[in-house]
Amino acid sequence: MQALRIDPCTLPPDLLADCAALRQQVRAFLAEALADFPAALRVRNWSGHSPAFSAQLGARGWIGMTWPRRYGGQARSPLERYVVLEELLAAGAPVGAHWVAERQSALLLMRLSPDLLAPRIVPGIVRGETFFCIGMSEPDSGSDLASIRTRALRTDAGWVVNGRKVWTSRAHQAHYMIALVRTGAPGEVRQAGLSQLLVDMTTPGLTVRPIVNQLGEHDFNEVTFDDVLVPHAHLLGVEGDGWAQVSAELAFERSGPERYLSSTQLLLEMLDAAAGGQGGPAAPLDARQAVALGRITASYATLRQMSLGVSAMLARGDNPALAAALVKDQGALVEQAMPDIAHDLYGGLAAPGSALALAMSYTARAAPSFSLRGGTREILRGIIAKGMGLR
Amino acid sequence: MIEQSAERLFAGEVTRALRMRFEAGEFPQALWQLVADQGLPLALATEAAGGIAASWADAYPILRGIGHWQVPLPLAETMIAGQLLSMAGLQIPDGPIALIEPDVAGQWVLRHSAAGQRLTGRAQRVAWASACGWALVSLPAAAPSVAGRILLVDLRDAASVHISAQRNPANEPCEEVALHGAPVRAQAANPLPALHRPVRTLGAIASSAMMVGAMEWLLAQSVQYAQDRLQFGRPIGKNQAIQQQLALLAGEVAAARVAALVACADAPDVAAAGCASTVFSAAVAKVRCGEAATRAAAIAHQVHGAIGFSQDHGLHFATRRLWAWREAHGADAWWAQQLGEAAIRAGSAGFWPAITDRHFAGLDLRSAPPAHPAHPVNP
Repeated sequence: MQALRIDPCTLPPDLLADCAALRQQVRAFLAEALADFPAALRVRNWSGHSPAFSAQLGARGWIGMTWPRRYGGQARSPLERYVVLEELLAAGAPVGAHWVAERQSALLLMRLSPDLLAPRIVPGIVRGETFFCIGMSEPDSGSDLASIRTRALRTDAGWVVNGRKVWTSRAHQAHYMIALVRTGAPGEVRQAGLSQLLVDMTTPGLTVRPIVNQLGEHDFNEVTFDDVLVPHAHLLGVEGDGWAQVSAELAFERSGPERYLSSTQLLLEMLDAAAGGQGGPAAPLDARQAVALGRITASYATLRQMSLGVSAMLARGDNPALAAALVKDQGALVEQAMPDIAHDLYGGLAAPGSALALAMSYTARAAPSFSLRGGTREILRGIIAKGMGLR
Repeated sequence: MIEQSAERLFAGEVTRALRMRFEAGEFPQALWQLVADQGLPLALATEAAGGIAASWADAYPILRGIGHWQVPLPLAETMIAGQLLSMAGLQIPDGPIALIEPDVAGQWVLRHSAAGQRLTGRAQRVAWASACGWALVSLPAAAPSVAGRILLVDLRDAASVHISAQRNPANEPCEEVALHGAPVRAQAANPLPALHRPVRTLGAIASSAMMVGAMEWLLAQSVQYAQDRLQFGRPIGKNQAIQQQLALLAGEVAAARVAALVACADAPDVAAAGCASTVFSAAVAKVRCGEAATRAAAIAHQVHGAIGFSQDHGLHFATRRLWAWREAHGADAWWAQQLGEAAIRAGSAGFWPAITDRHFAGLDLRSAPPAHPAHPVNP
């Protein structure tokens, strides 16, 4: 049960001033860089894709800022990184291009290939120029990741990969994929025989086809491997250890502030609607709207502290897997409640074409994915139940 | 140190039998004496007043413990009274102290006579009044002569103090107190002037921590029961439907705990003027813990099935307290309204900076509507 506890993060005094100064720098940068960035794009939150913006962040040293200097990082505290991340997300900045590479791919490269692949690839991630996608799900393998069938066969020339990945976000814009593949028989343990490969997306035999989502957007892809040759050196970590590596990777995928901030633009539009629709800032406010928005405010404040607490666990070197699953589950509940609360307060009332109407429509359509991506709600709760000794 | 002594005392002394005698109307005087001997009621009070001068973060285990062991004592109330009285330089009387902070100030009057100062007024939903010899009365908004002051009132004067016998869902006294010229032993300015409503604010933080304790106990009990109870030939906890509910319960408890811990960290100790985030974090905690209490009680009962609905089983000691405490010192909806109004006034530009600062300009409760009105719904 102890592992389910998340302690609020107390910033060490020497970091307080640094974090405050950094926050002001990021806010000043965003005020300028996103001055003309419309609500219609801010609603996309971390799904927004802008290589130009990623490069701007890279130029300021705000990607991979905790990483070792030899890879282009600045060895700064994870809590300073957290400040940058939450400011970007709260502003609805288009961070999607480099997000996966920074959040998880680079960490794998630095840990599993510190002297060969990381020096080659991570500096490009730091500059905001190199983008990654994640090759996990397959047509018959969603939550049951151990059942994947994409195979990699070791040959003298390298690994020959055959199979198919689906729901691969941004594969069409990524330079690399880290793919989970089967390199051996499952054996007694189904999770055995899995490995992770670094795949250059320009390799012959690799085909990327769009899967348009219900928003009408091209984010997902189907990626087909047809005798794709991957160099031996691109095996990440130890052959057959893929499951353990992926489990650690998923903890990073689940731990960040993006897991509760996805619907922020809709919240901001609701706040302005509640103020503006009432005859100016001095007028008495409608109690029903105030209560609903106050409850969300309390959840935001709480989730922020939980998320910071997980960040502090990472900084201490603690295993955040269980806590991250818990925060993501709680965060998705709030993210998904947002369009329903907006509907309750403003359904049929928002002026057509207004930023509020647009945010309501977009977020309602996007929200079902919030408890699917990065592990479904049911999988997360299964992890939590396991942590409590129930399975 | 505080944590160990509180846990040892509560775990050893607060038995089911004691709780049942309390439910039948017997105040656990011997338990109060033990708690007082440990110094817990004065944990937050100044050392000059005989207290420990603990921070709220240090005192959190006591408050959590009241919930976890379902301690039927006005301990949180006395701790808050002790902090405020001692910070104001007033002497702390022996025994439990109730807290009164009326929403509506209109009829509160202080008169000076040859016999001393006499207070007249009426307050709703005063916890533990009939069990306390004293009340700390905080008058945030009242006639100018007493506005912003705290007063120590003698509740033992039967001629001038009328207490209606009412109880909350936990069977704790939760009463209307009518003072008709009740004796005032001492008065002083609110020693935490940055908190317009010190009792409402600190009371909300204490209630939140108490709810966390009760919920942590519920979670442990529910997980244990799911592992012990066999149906269809296996523990019911092997069913995914049960596992998913318990995982959600764990999430609610974790969220509530973080909110309560942050609120305690943001509450002022006897030395600190550190009140910048106190109201914000109190509001967040009371809203989030109140919501969690609602959901946690429902899940715990569902997992326990019929046995948890019986008086013999102790589940209700915790769930009834959650239903009582989520209403105390402003229900979650009342606090949500204050928080929401502040957020709306901050607008899209000010919202996020307020979240990171843990401070909304204007969230001072000065113009808040009554949380516990004198003319309640369905009187």
